[in-house]
Amino acid sequence: MNKLRVAVSYFTNYLKPYWKGLIVAITFVLIGTYAQIKAPLYLGNAISGLTKYLTASFTPGGHASLADFYQAILAMVFFYLLSEAGFVISGLITSRVSSDSVGQMRMGLFSNLQKKAIRYFDSHQDGKILSLFTSDLDNVFNAMNQAVFQVFSQGVLFLGIIWMMLSKSLTMALVTMALSPVAIIVALLIVNKARKQIEKQQAATGDLNGYINEQLSGQAVLLAEGRQQESIKDFEPINERVRHATQRGQFYSGLLSPLMQGFSLLNLAIVIFFGSWLVLHNGMDKASGLALIVVFVTYSQQYFQPISQLTAIYNPLQLAITGANRITEVEAKPNEVNTGKKMAGPLTEGVSLKHVDFAYQPDRPILKDVSIDVKKGQMVALVGPTGSGKTTVMNLLNRFYDLNGGEITYDGVPLKDYDLESLRSRVGIVLQESVVFSKSIRDNIAYGKPDASQEEVESAAKQANIHDFIMSLPDGYDTKVTGADNLFSTGQKQLLSIARTILTNPSLLILDEATANVDTVTEAKIQKAMENVMANRTSFVIAHRLKTILSADVIVVLKDGRVIEKGSHEELLAEKGFYSELYYNQMVFE
Amino acid sequence: MELLLTYAKPYGKKIAVAVISVTLMALATLTQPQFLEKMMTAIIKDQSDLVLKNGAYLLGLALVGIVAGITGTYFASQVSQGVAADIRRAEYEKIQNFSLQQVQSYSSANLVVRLTNDINQVQQLVMQLLQMVLRVPILLIGAVILSIYTIPSLWWVVVLMIVLIVLSSQRIFAMMGGSFAKIQKLIDKNNTLAQENLAGVRVVKSFNQQGQEEASFSDNTQELTEVNRRIGYLFNMMFPIFMLLSYAAIVAALLFISTSIISHPDQLAKITPFITYLNQILMALLMMGMISTFASRGFVSLKRISAVMAEETVEHSVDEQSKVGKDDFLKQDLKVENLSFTYPNAKSAVLSDISFKLRAGQTLGIVGSTGSGKSTLALLLARLYQGDGGKVQVDGQDINSIDEESWRQAVSIVMQKPVLFSGSIASNLKMGKADASESEMQEAIEAAQAAEFVNAYPDGLNHEISERSANLSGGQKQRLSLARALVKKPRLLILDDATSALDARSEKQVQEVLANEFAKTTKVIIAEKIASIIRADQIIVLDEGKVVGVGSHEELLENSDFYQEIYQSQKGKEGDHE
Repeated sequence: MNKLRVAVSYFTNYLKPYWKGLIVAITFVLIGTYAQIKAPLYLGNAISGLTKYLTASFTPGGHASLADFYQAILAMVFFYLLSEAGFVISGLITSRVSSDSVGQMRMGLFSNLQKKAIRYFDSHQDGKILSLFTSDLDNVFNAMNQAVFQVFSQGVLFLGIIWMMLSKSLTMALVTMALSPVAIIVALLIVNKARKQIEKQQAATGDLNGYINEQLSGQAVLLAEGRQQESIKDFEPINERVRHATQRGQFYSGLLSPLMQGFSLLNLAIVIFFGSWLVLHNGMDKASGLALIVVFVTYSQQYFQPISQLTAIYNPLQLAITGANRITEVEAKPNEVNTGKKMAGPLTEGVSLKHVDFAYQPDRPILKDVSIDVKKGQMVALVGPTGSGKTTVMNLLNRFYDLNGGEITYDGVPLKDYDLESLRSRVGIVLQESVVFSKSIRDNIAYGKPDASQEEVESAAKQANIHDFIMSLPDGYDTKVTGADNLFSTGQKQLLSIARTILTNPSLLILDEATANVDTVTEAKIQKAMENVMANRTSFVIAHRLKTILSADVIVVLKDGRVIEKGSHEELLAEKGFYSELYYNQMVFE
Repeated sequence: MELLLTYAKPYGKKIAVAVISVTLMALATLTQPQFLEKMMTAIIKDQSDLVLKNGAYLLGLALVGIVAGITGTYFASQVSQGVAADIRRAEYEKIQNFSLQQVQSYSSANLVVRLTNDINQVQQLVMQLLQMVLRVPILLIGAVILSIYTIPSLWWVVVLMIVLIVLSSQRIFAMMGGSFAKIQKLIDKNNTLAQENLAGVRVVKSFNQQGQEEASFSDNTQELTEVNRRIGYLFNMMFPIFMLLSYAAIVAALLFISTSIISHPDQLAKITPFITYLNQILMALLMMGMISTFASRGFVSLKRISAVMAEETVEHSVDEQSKVGKDDFLKQDLKVENLSFTYPNAKSAVLSDISFKLRAGQTLGIVGSTGSGKSTLALLLARLYQGDGGKVQVDGQDINSIDEESWRQAVSIVMQKPVLFSGSIASNLKMGKADASESEMQEAIEAAQAAEFVNAYPDGLNHEISERSANLSGGQKQRLSLARALVKKPRLLILDDATSALDARSEKQVQEVLANEFAKTTKVIIAEKIASIIRADQIIVLDEGKVVGVGSHEELLENSDFYQEIYQSQKGKEGDHE
């Protein structure tokens, strides 16, 4: 079981700092369990003391005394208190250890993700990574809370009871345990079956959720085309499949608890039946006979408790093992490489791409032999159809990815020779899909420079043409932004991220222009803000609409990863190639 | 609750079996100590035949318990799943009868939750109700009665134990108080932080803010850890306290019995059953606590589902008189008079007093900035929204009085955000016209400039579109949703910025096809780009829900400042003419 080994080492790693507390906890579990097992013995003694007292009272000349009884009660009280005290102390320690260590795991995972390269995030869906936090860590916490320590304490309890029973009466112990192999096998079979059925159930439910999601998201189309009846018709078989799969899943997973209760009941019956037979036919005296039955009735109940508990935590434990494996797998992925030592200063000469080759996947080249030169203070516009590689150029300039061939230099020095952090602090990007964090507007603008003064923040907002809007909000710069609300339109989000970039005062700017859901009047506003930022800076602009391009020093047309045209607006129009056709189609109305 | 009863009705027999099984199981658990007492008495009195007889009963009882347990679970899962699937079906059908306005007032994401998560909660609730709700009261009341019946003089021990357990658990739950709500909030926050970090990973890295991100995540995690600890502490106190209370009850019982054992020697055999009952009472109380938390969640979901089911929907009836043949549809004009629309909960109208008249076969262009009401107008014209003032008439007839089916056959709308469904391309096209032939579909994809990429697939029209159309680009999705609208050769075509992701050349080709091959179709075209509507017979300019300009491109350039502004923002350098 390689999976188990990975999980064990993951848990040991995070539990190691708590070893002292854990040893104390284990000691108290042992004490508590010992007392828990011992107490019924004195309950038996108390009954046998009472029986003796009663028999003596009715025997003429007998000396009736309750001394034995009181002694037994005293011992019983002592062990009851001891067992619960042991459980309370160990429980307090373990709940602290489990919440603290899971907190560490959460933090560990998050920190680790901060070190991953962009390639990792681009090749994995956010939702899947997020499920490490929402589902896998949750499973680990649940297991820590109820399973990991329970496996230990229930295991101790189980062995302790067996030992106690054996020392009390071999025959009765064997009778009590006789049914358990059957019970365990049946329980494990059911747990296994339930897991398989639940997997099927989840697959069916996943299909159903997918269907419902798709249909309701497209409800406008369904209504426009009058497809409601068809939608219901297609829904029915999927719903039926879920009904059947879930019925079986629920049946098998619901079976365990009543079945174990049934087994416990059956075992109790066997113990009572056999115990009584033993007393009556093996000439045991009544007092100790009754005590034996009472003791074993309690043991029989206690004996079945760990069995049903352990089988019940089998599933959470499995989930936790899977969770630990998934997290370990992610954490083991290589981190971003940062071996460059040179500190990047403000740009003095320029940036060059020299014969750059790049592919996200080895067999699918994205950029082929791309060469672009930008001198300090120039603006380069990248133009080209979707998939031509414009955004990839941006990924390379910020060293989100490393090249496959060729070289990119910043003031003549290859990017990979720079310290990553110093390089990125010189390069500012504005993404097409604006990112806004759940923080105040001020903190969003000052994101790259948390210690910025209010004046700096406001001046950046003014340059980005968003200050007036912010001031129109009741809380101004302190307004909290939350992911769900629609405080900002797409265009305003873009302006906010432009302000964020202005504040860090980068030497080289990369702008990916927003177009989706922005009307041309708003677009003009964004453009003005962009012009403010670009003034006296070196910049790359990925232009989706041509208006931006008109003021560029150099226009580069990319198609299928190659530079097909390069020059000023007038030069390219004269070439009468791709650019000129694009321009006339889009910008000239006559 | 009413909803649950309605849908549980068809399962009456199965419910009865489940309830009977559960009751049997509870009774088996309850009566076992009685037989134990009889056995003990028999031992004391040396009656081996009674031991044998009662022993057999005891075994039989245990077997009944097992069989009842299995049967109960089986029928409970049958019923809970049956009820859940039935409610889900009914709810889905209900939602399909919703108007677009109703769907949007809930939001489709919210409706999805009500159909999936909430139904699951209800299913769990039914399962719990059937398995536990009867069993726990039977066990609790039974154990209380039987314990007092076994040793009547100790009734106060039983009552005192119950009172103390209930009081202490109330106290502990009060101490936990808001902790659960707080945890949920902190976890949501934790997830939001992680999710935003992932979504904004490029921003985080390019601003070198990994450290700050870790710090704020760490603060939140620390808070979460503290609340988790608190809950853990309280939980770990709770069970030992309950156990100690039941131990105290046992000791008290033993002590009091010892004082009266001489006058009541029969009580000796009754001690063990009495203790067993005390344990059963404790278990029942614990289960009750668990159920109440479970049930409260289920009832919340039930309420949310009931709200959906209580919505009023209009049944679409077929009315022969209001039917309009497709060829007779829109032969004269489309007339809009004083049309107004206000979204629910909105302060001001999104459209007010819109009027225009379009002759059959003409093209209307609509331009305006974001939020000017263009898309709302498109939905009103497509009869997907109901205006709250004014009217829309086709050939002089109010559009709402036209038969639903006739309307859908004659009118097509292409929305801003293209939506395709998983399945083949053909199955998507057939949504526009169920009996579309191969050649009709081919014509449609050619008109929508989609033929080139569709026919490049080896399986052509049978090519599968994956979920969320992940295997198509934005432009390809727009082309296919346009094709779906064209395949029925509509009499009225409404395009809401439907070609925004197409490159300039393809867009021009689409315009030519619409002008030539769909010359008889009346067209309403909403666009960001003036180039898309420059040749329209009539253009209306919308601003904040009002018409601020009407006329042809040339006329508007003359007399609408607003139109001028839009035009200037899109125009190239002066003097660049071919």
